[in-house]
Amino acid sequence: MLSANTDVLWKMLNDPKVLEKVTPGIKTLEAQGEDSYKAISEVKIGPVKGEFKGDLALKDKVEGESCVVVLDQKSKMGNVVAEIGMTLVQKEENQTEVQYTGEAKMSGMLARMGQRIMSGVVSTLSKQFFQAMEKELQDSQ
Amino acid sequence: MEKFIGKSVKRREDARFLKGAGKYTDDIKLPKMTQSAFVRSPYAHAKILSVDISEAEKAEGVVAVFTAQDGCGEYGVPCGWQVDFKNGETMREPQHPLLAKEKIRHLGEAVAIVIAESLELARDAAELVEVEYEELPAVTDPKKAMEEGAPLVHDQWPDNAAFDWCIGNDRADVEAALATAHHVTEVEYHNQRLAPNAMEPRSYIADYDVNADKWTLYTSTQNPHLIRLLLCAFALGIPEHKVRVVSYDVGGGFGSKIYHYTEEALLTWASKEIGRPIKWTSDRSEAFLTDAHGRDHVVHSRMGFDKDGKIVAHLTDEFCGLGAYLSTFAPAVPTYLHGTLFQGVYTTPLIHLNVTAPFTHTVAVDAYRGAGRPEATYLLERIISKGAQEMNMDPTEIRLKNFIPPFDGVEQPGYQTQVALQYDSGNYHGVLKRGLEMLGYEDFRKEQKEARENGRLLGVGFSTYIEGCGIAPSAVVGALGARAGLYEVGQVRVQPTGKVSVYTGAHSHGQGHETVFAQFVADKLGIPMDDVEIEHGDTEQVAFGMGTYGSRSLAVGGSAIVKSIEKILEKGAKIAAHKLEAAEGDLEYAEGKWTVKGTDKSVSFGDVSLTAYVPHDYPEGLEPGLDFSSFYDPTNFTYPFGTHIAVVEVDPDTGKVDLKRFVACDDVGNVMNPMIVDGQIQGGVAQGVGQALLEEVVYDEGGQMITGSYMDYAMPRADDLPMIETDRTVTPCPHNPLGVKGAGEAGAIGSTPAVVNAVVDALAHLGVTDLQMPLTPQRVWKAMQN
Amino acid sequence: MKITVKVNGVAYTHEVEPRISLTHYLREILDLTGTHIGCDTSGCGACTVTMDGKAVKSCTILAVQADGSDITTIEGMANGNEMHPIQAAFKEHHGLQCGFCTPGMVMTAADILKNNPNPTEEEVRHGLEGNFCRCTGYHNIVKSIRHAAEQINS
Repeated sequence: MLSANTDVLWKMLNDPKVLEKVTPGIKTLEAQGEDSYKAISEVKIGPVKGEFKGDLALKDKVEGESCVVVLDQKSKMGNVVAEIGMTLVQKEENQTEVQYTGEAKMSGMLARMGQRIMSGVVSTLSKQFFQAMEKELQDSQ
Repeated sequence: MEKFIGKSVKRREDARFLKGAGKYTDDIKLPKMTQSAFVRSPYAHAKILSVDISEAEKAEGVVAVFTAQDGCGEYGVPCGWQVDFKNGETMREPQHPLLAKEKIRHLGEAVAIVIAESLELARDAAELVEVEYEELPAVTDPKKAMEEGAPLVHDQWPDNAAFDWCIGNDRADVEAALATAHHVTEVEYHNQRLAPNAMEPRSYIADYDVNADKWTLYTSTQNPHLIRLLLCAFALGIPEHKVRVVSYDVGGGFGSKIYHYTEEALLTWASKEIGRPIKWTSDRSEAFLTDAHGRDHVVHSRMGFDKDGKIVAHLTDEFCGLGAYLSTFAPAVPTYLHGTLFQGVYTTPLIHLNVTAPFTHTVAVDAYRGAGRPEATYLLERIISKGAQEMNMDPTEIRLKNFIPPFDGVEQPGYQTQVALQYDSGNYHGVLKRGLEMLGYEDFRKEQKEARENGRLLGVGFSTYIEGCGIAPSAVVGALGARAGLYEVGQVRVQPTGKVSVYTGAHSHGQGHETVFAQFVADKLGIPMDDVEIEHGDTEQVAFGMGTYGSRSLAVGGSAIVKSIEKILEKGAKIAAHKLEAAEGDLEYAEGKWTVKGTDKSVSFGDVSLTAYVPHDYPEGLEPGLDFSSFYDPTNFTYPFGTHIAVVEVDPDTGKVDLKRFVACDDVGNVMNPMIVDGQIQGGVAQGVGQALLEEVVYDEGGQMITGSYMDYAMPRADDLPMIETDRTVTPCPHNPLGVKGAGEAGAIGSTPAVVNAVVDALAHLGVTDLQMPLTPQRVWKAMQN
Repeated sequence: MKITVKVNGVAYTHEVEPRISLTHYLREILDLTGTHIGCDTSGCGACTVTMDGKAVKSCTILAVQADGSDITTIEGMANGNEMHPIQAAFKEHHGLQCGFCTPGMVMTAADILKNNPNPTEEEVRHGLEGNFCRCTGYHNIVKSIRHAAEQINS
């Protein structure tokens, strides 16, 4: 649950500067087309640590309602393709529930060594993402 | 003279291993040696769009970076066995490139090799190689690989089958018998994929000497001559006499070090390119991804019984995964090393096995300790025990009803099976009887009953296995598709002082040949064991050889040495007769000397040896020297057998299986060194128990391996196992001179179904009739809840 | 970085890269190749040595962390040609086959017996939990260690 209207959130999700700030681990985010960015991220959770390079894209956008964030990140430890579907539901004024589903496909060493802890990693990262969003909201107000 | 055959002589090789002075390949350092690291695919199936090595080439300490574009080994590594389709179509045999060029077909397939001044620098630079892939859908399950629309491993063929194959009686006859059988038992399961996990990871050093124009390849292999042959004649097309292959100490093999791997050929090729030695040692993660795996059979089988529990027919269909490429012996494993054991120790009159063997997007599957026979034994011993359970029979009673009667292969002929082979000799009742005594069967059933009343879950499981080893008669395997002969070579070189050097083509990587071979050589020559030295593992010392696998070292390799000893004694007798001025026919050889029968006139082995090399006073026309080499090609396989019994207790709250006892009564023919045979059985049992309870290589849907480390792949540890209770009966092999059958794989073949049968027995009163391996607590607990 | 370590009674001083493991230091720099590498996740125990009297997996220790310590490897167990009682017991009871896990087993056994001079079968098995052997099924390793205990205690 985030303290904003859907349209405010929607704008934030479409603003690379905000995304760069709130997405855990993102070091740089560079727009390379509409809804498509080049991302360099560094993630460290437990034994999983590494610099990832790749694309971040928004697709299946329904204005003000839902979108899918597609992350395609490559690293020396292996690659991650993650699709995070987000649906924004306005609950009351300045209260929006964000429903999200995530699916990540890993390869390489990440898949071999990381799979067991990956669901934990995904939930930690998601939490960090929404905490950062909330903070961003408060800061912008 | 002290005799050594049959004694538990302590091992000669132990001193160096115990002092840390073993010489494994990774322990070797050569002058100017470089190190290497591979760039491996993170995908199971992908197109290679581009490979950029420019940054890596510029990196510190890098000597060279090679990709498939550099023209390494255009032929790829070969497959050593051909199994054609039932309809006559030739086996589909893809090229197995040393480095992937356009396409990736399994996780971990190598794309580039980086050679540098140190391992760290090679690994650093390997990270700078940029490979662009287009990931494609993968298929890893052998049954799914044959479904309509499955992703193709090799685009040039319409489906993923490498071949299909069948053995036994006419399928229609077997089906008809099943249709009218009193009872039919059915099983369906996956004999799961295993990683052999020899503790020493594979390691190679290739060293090209530009002045001599010769290569030396140091390799952790079970068969140096075979590697040389495959490397020279197939993979690289270089002259065999210019290549020396050396494998000193090898830290376990279990099948996984039989094959000629791409890295061996690539290093050999690259060493000439850079003019320096190159070392590569696999780390464990790479081992999981690139060592050949074992098993991976998806099985559906039905066995029919009459009302007395006699088997009337057995019909099986299997999908056996081969991996992305055909490894050296891969096609033989699910076929001739598997289907030919479907008779088991039973008189089953009608048997049919149908095998479909597809490629999958996984690393190659090949022989792993037992190679096809553990899979056959698991099926037979599971289905017969399940049949007994369903028909309310005792598992020992149903076995006794179906056993082939005892035969020694001398007075009584060998037993002709429905699946091509003729067993050499056997006494299956004997091992079961002894096994039951060791267990105390009646007492156990009482204990089990009481335990159940107290809520404890105790179970006992049986396995009365047979296996075929001592591979193999060359003509037979040749007719079955082998592209090599499977004889062995043994050279006995008597030195002028009467000391004896023996050169064997068999290879020891834990089996103790240096000790055991010396035992029988000393006995046969009537000399002290200290006078005998066993040499192996160097193609420039040993004339030729086929190596060690299929429990063949003593049965085939030992027999070759015996043949050479016979030649030594025959020639020695001529020299002795000359020295003693007697007729050869009047001499007898015993205790290291030739004696004129009925007199005290004799000449020693040492004297004769010296005369052979200093032939001043010597038989006319006889060549000097005392040095013979022999090839021994067996006339049949050998057929060890035994009874394995497991006792387990299942934790009712968690489903965890505790292996409480393991009883093994094996018959491996004559025994040279009981201590070593027991050790082989104990170790084999541990691996078989590992499959039953713990081990499985798991690929996910996309072809990622999720059990690629010791954190995820569970192998037996010391506290997973009890002491293994061993004993044996002795039914000599009638067709080789030592009467031995082979003991290397028996433990791994017999044990697995015994453990699973025991767990099912423990849970039988809860209605459990079958369980999928490995029997993890989760699976067992779930089965208990249903 | 400069480190000084005592290995098998001999003091060494070397300049080492901070990232190299103690195993690497022993094998590549001191040429003590008896300490083996069987995995990359500290799961197999083939690299076990004793450091200041305690068994450690040398692959999980950086060479720089070993600075100032006293290390015994398998090469330091025998007294000249005379094997340590644990080594002798392994030979007597066929506690090894391919020999690759053996150095780690012997070093771990030394640690087990140091802490518990008369262990039961269960205690020995528990003590060996961190060491893989793929050849012996542990049967004869357990026997060897219990026999060594008897020899040392007598």
